[in-house]
Amino acid sequence: MHAVAEAMTGRPDSFPLPERRAQGSAAGAAQERVAWPPGDLAIWIFILAELAVFAIFFAAYAFARMGELELFVTYQQTLDTNLALINTLALITSSYFVVRAVGRIRADDAGGCIRWLAGALLLGGVFLGVKSLEYAHLFGEGVSLSTNTFYTFYLSLTFFHFMHVVMGMVILAAVAVKAAQGHYSREVHTGVETGASYWHMVDLVWLILFPLVYVM
Amino acid sequence: MLQYKSQAVAKPYFIAAIALFIGQILFGLILGLQYVMGDFLFPEIPFNVARMVHTNLLIVWLLFGFMGAAYYLVPEEAETELHSPGLAILMFWIFLIAGALTVLGYLLVPYARLAELTGNHLWPTMGREFLEQPTITKVGIVVVALAFLYNVGMTILKGRKTVVSLVLLIGLVGLAVLFLFAFYNPENLVKDKFYWWWVVHLWVEGVWELIMGAILAFVLIKLTGVDREVIEKWLYVIIAMALITGIIGTGHHYFWIGTPEYWQWWGSIFSALEPLPFFMMTVFAFNMVNRRRRNHPNKAAMLWALGTGVMAFLGAGVWGFLHTLAPVNYYTHGSQITAAHGHMAFYGAYVMIVLTIISYAMPMLRGREAANSNRSQVVEMWSFWLMTVSMVFITLFLTGAGILQVWLQRYSDDPQPFMVVQEKIELFYWMREVAGVIFLIGLVLYVISFFVGQRQPEASAKPLPAVSPAEA
Amino acid sequence: MTAIRPETLVWLLLVALTLLTWGVGQEGLNGPAVSLGLLGVALFKGHLVGDWFMGLRRVRGPWRWVIALWLLLPGGLIALAFLLAAR
Repeated sequence: MHAVAEAMTGRPDSFPLPERRAQGSAAGAAQERVAWPPGDLAIWIFILAELAVFAIFFAAYAFARMGELELFVTYQQTLDTNLALINTLALITSSYFVVRAVGRIRADDAGGCIRWLAGALLLGGVFLGVKSLEYAHLFGEGVSLSTNTFYTFYLSLTFFHFMHVVMGMVILAAVAVKAAQGHYSREVHTGVETGASYWHMVDLVWLILFPLVYVM
Repeated sequence: MLQYKSQAVAKPYFIAAIALFIGQILFGLILGLQYVMGDFLFPEIPFNVARMVHTNLLIVWLLFGFMGAAYYLVPEEAETELHSPGLAILMFWIFLIAGALTVLGYLLVPYARLAELTGNHLWPTMGREFLEQPTITKVGIVVVALAFLYNVGMTILKGRKTVVSLVLLIGLVGLAVLFLFAFYNPENLVKDKFYWWWVVHLWVEGVWELIMGAILAFVLIKLTGVDREVIEKWLYVIIAMALITGIIGTGHHYFWIGTPEYWQWWGSIFSALEPLPFFMMTVFAFNMVNRRRRNHPNKAAMLWALGTGVMAFLGAGVWGFLHTLAPVNYYTHGSQITAAHGHMAFYGAYVMIVLTIISYAMPMLRGREAANSNRSQVVEMWSFWLMTVSMVFITLFLTGAGILQVWLQRYSDDPQPFMVVQEKIELFYWMREVAGVIFLIGLVLYVISFFVGQRQPEASAKPLPAVSPAEA
Repeated sequence: MTAIRPETLVWLLLVALTLLTWGVGQEGLNGPAVSLGLLGVALFKGHLVGDWFMGLRRVRGPWRWVIALWLLLPGGLIALAFLLAAR
């Protein structure tokens, strides 16, 4: 708590980014480290709070599984791992696109930033579509929240995450619109980094969720 | 000094709030005594009536406080006079008279008779905890709420729109909309309870948190001079977390009322995180004070603002978490642990936020420049500590009573009957009553603080030491 | 201009690790060792995202480790529950 409090106290309202490496150059160039993660600090507080919710959710899944091991192992096999694979790749790649979008705006290339964001949004759409297919299939089989503990968790966890994908896409779309209106540049692009950080969080959570619920 | 003349309508609301607060505490003391002397004041004021008055007065005076807060801060935020001060005063009297008549109804006639007199059979909504008001009173509340929202909404529409006033408005609209579920009273008991919580839970663990966040943000902007943008960012994060955890967290009331089992998971997981927004509010308050750009002469208001963060986190957050997980709640449900949580949560979050805004606004409403005299503030700060510390003790004693109760009555291999256990935890009830008396003394001091030091000059603030360029 | 960005390599690594996890699922391998191995892979992937995508690699002080520390929380609890379940 102290670290957080201190962090919240000391941070200037907006801070000039240290000179980032030149766009496109190789990494590893020695450079100064900064005290703050990219984007608005408020989004990081929110990300931490959200991650806390997911951490508790994951732990609850694992302990519920402990109580009904056979049931979890059995019903896990009814899930479609191939669709989950597509979705994982979609989120990872979309996260990567967002990294590129941030790189473009740091190079003062708003057009490139928008194109990468559009790609990321498209992949977010793929994720939502594939997930909806999965839900449609399961609901078609008569599965519901009350079917058993495994499905309670599967549906709750993935739907909670689904809503975060939606939320993340709304944020990315807003960032893209602002970029198109010319609000961002090499000097001023905290908004892009803020949206990017949230989107990476959505990706990060799925990277744990995927093996936990589908494979392990 | 008031920036806008129409802010003055907040004054009667605040005075009424404090008056009803006193009534609430007196009935609380009666109730506390009835726990150990069952026939105290029987048959004039039976336990169930005293409890009804204690809880209903709390809600009504907090609503007075919220409305007063809105009437005070919205003109200042919107930078314009209130849409209709006359409507605000009219609604004040309607609400006060309706509230007084309702309480008199509780006290003077048996509840069943009150139901009959007010035509409950035409549209039955009475008889449910916290929503005991006659249907006609409920209609009155809706009318007052609509007029209030219209008044405040029009003011915001015609003036500057700030995050603080918008969050406040969303909270107040939510409050009014959710109250409509008080009129829905299905035959099915499960459904009845299900929607009853939409009023009760989604008020205190949902939209009221927005109201609290907005009032706290307003007071902190004024007291610390920290940039509005910084405070607004915090407000966004806090209310987002409050809504995510609070809305699905409703599930912690759905464990044992006949709803599907998944509510045990949803309720446990999400409500376990309800302390987060309160924790953020505490960090928020202390941080803004650390980063303050000036010292405000109203030190008492600052104390309340910091106090509400801490006490809300303890009472709503920590004490709520204690019994929110389904496997724990299986044993603690409806025990004195619930009462302990209820007391500190309501005091820490909502009583203290209303007292914060009163403390901040009242000096200006009474013609001061920015703050009361030192003498008045010292008395007020004494009342802060007396009330807060005695509330901590009330909570601890009730927690002790609750743990013992759960142990003897539910958890043990050889569970004992309710009344037998009640006798065994009597000592805790006595200690709670003593702490309650001290709370009343604190409250009396609080009232006295409005009357002392009136002729003395205003307190002044020491200027901040020069700020280094790095921090500026 | 032609040098490959480190982020691109990280992305390829994430894809490869994902395929590995999926492959293990396809093979029907199970048991606590497999589960914990997959969990380790997942935590490593999370760390890569935190460091390279979220940019914490360039941060000093407490924020540098915020994602890594978070990963340990669910990671530890999941590992504990899986180990207890396998007993």
